[in-house]
Amino acid sequence: MIENKQLIICRCEEVTYEQLQSTARQHTCSARELKLRTRAGMGFCGGRTCRIALDAIMDSFIPDENKAVIPLKYQPPIRPVSFGTVGGRHD
Amino acid sequence: MTDLIVIGSGPAGLAGAIAAAGTGLRVTVVDEFIRPGGRLLGQLHQEPSGEWWNGIKEAEKLQHEAHALGINIRCGVSVYNIETAEAGWKVYTNEGVLEAPFVLIATGAAEYPIPVPGWTLPGVMSIGAAQVMTNVHRVQAGRKGIIIGANILAFAILNELQLAGIKVDRVVLPEKNAVSRQAGEPEAVIRSLLNAAHLAPSALLRFGSRLMKNETIRNIGTRFYPKNGLKINGTPLQLRKAAVEIIGTEQVEGVRTVDIDAYGHVIPGTDRLYEADFVCIAGGLYPLAELAAVAGCPFEYIPELGGHVPRHSETMATPLPGLFVAGNITGIESGKVAMAQGTAAGLSIAKQAGKQAAASGRQLEQAIEHVRTIRQQVAIQFHPDIELGRSQMNEQWKAHEGTSVQPGEKIG
Ligand SMILES: Cc1cc2nc3c(=O)[nH]c(=O)nc-3n(C[C@H](O)[C@H](O)[C@H](O)COP(=O)(O)OP(=O)(O)OC[C@H]3O[C@@H](n4cnc5c(N)ncnc54)[C@H](O)[C@@H]3O)c2cc1C
Repeated sequence: MIENKQLIICRCEEVTYEQLQSTARQHTCSARELKLRTRAGMGFCGGRTCRIALDAIMDSFIPDENKAVIPLKYQPPIRPVSFGTVGGRHD
Repeated sequence: MTDLIVIGSGPAGLAGAIAAAGTGLRVTVVDEFIRPGGRLLGQLHQEPSGEWWNGIKEAEKLQHEAHALGINIRCGVSVYNIETAEAGWKVYTNEGVLEAPFVLIATGAAEYPIPVPGWTLPGVMSIGAAQVMTNVHRVQAGRKGIIIGANILAFAILNELQLAGIKVDRVVLPEKNAVSRQAGEPEAVIRSLLNAAHLAPSALLRFGSRLMKNETIRNIGTRFYPKNGLKINGTPLQLRKAAVEIIGTEQVEGVRTVDIDAYGHVIPGTDRLYEADFVCIAGGLYPLAELAAVAGCPFEYIPELGGHVPRHSETMATPLPGLFVAGNITGIESGKVAMAQGTAAGLSIAKQAGKQAAASGRQLEQAIEHVRTIRQQVAIQFHPDIELGRSQMNEQWKAHEGTSVQPGEKIG
């Protein structure tokens, strides 16, 4: 249990423990759905900072059976890049 | 034209590039940091033999070797995606798209924090950030610091901060919760520290470690662990205190702690406030495997290796043709192991590329053997059951061999 409900877990998107907990309760959602609903782990750093903490918290809400599957999928771009770079402009 | 793109210029990536280039392959190394060397750049410690391991020197050695072989090292280049191409792989970077038949992903490890109330205040950093500030950028993190989390990485870096003359006031545990789990239980922490006792330059800890292999003595030891902690080069290690909040208005001013029992339960009425102007959170390390994931590589979950790890063979091949991995992306281990794995990967790639020198000799087998030997000798072992984790991965590899391979391609 995390006592301090206002504890920020995802810094980029400023998602608190309480938001994660209440969203998980309200929607009985999977790790992926919880991420999409709260945007936890979807900010500037691509979840590199909070991924492990998030996994642990989500696992404490809904234990995950299939551990070999990465709970929070990785999507490119895995680093912040400008639209120009993705579009193929490199100047 | 490039035969091999290496992503990451840490010990694994550089050693891999050198081994491959040594057989005649044309190699390009990219790294998003401003300097080659990866995590080596922060490392400074004394081996049990008494010799010093100076990571900056090791990185320079590798860099010179790479240059002598004509390897192109490009710093400040960040890879944000990787996809299969007609013949091999397309690597997307902030400086354009690179293409080669072979790619070695050697992106190392990342740190994970344990969130503590107040951890977003200026002056709070990960323990690794304190290492980079001190040893790479030569900037003093603060006048007086507190480390939250007692693990091998914290001790290695505590020692480096002390060497640099930076005062660390105390080491305390994080509060036990869903994230910190065993890192918040004194009993579990003591058990894990027994394997790191040689790094704690305290006779008491070293002597104690032998005694505490015995469970009863360990339990008594945890229960009677001195309130003020055992000192590590002058810094008290307070395993019976947990950080509940980092205090400050504009920046860190201190840490509020409570006393805890052997299992991490809070003892009421034991609040204390300790002043500090910087705080280091030592959570732990996990393999940075984003690129292997977007490439479509299958993963295995092996806690002894640090969590989710791309499936790979002892020859450092993944099930995807032409895609190899080495170093901490395959499991959290010391820099020397990463380097040995890199060499094995480089030779393995050379063999697949049909380079005679590596293919005919026993070089590759010897390199794989060398990884095992180094693993047994290193000063820093992040997980006590690393061997178990490695053999689990080998079993998984064998169990899946031949399944997800594209027709016509031979792996391993
Ligand atoms: C904070 C910290 C402290 C450590 N301290 C020690 C220690 O004291 N002793 C010890 O033996 N081991 C230590 N380690 C373990 C360390 O990871 C290994 O020693 C070793 O450096 C691993 O080598 P590697 O080549 O696998 O990865 P690294 O040395 O981490 O190198 C990986 C490189 O890849 C680059 N990279 C990553 N992603 C991308 C991308 N998308 N695009 C471009 N470049 C990328 C990074 O910039 C980095 O330079 C530490 C690890 C960390 C994280």
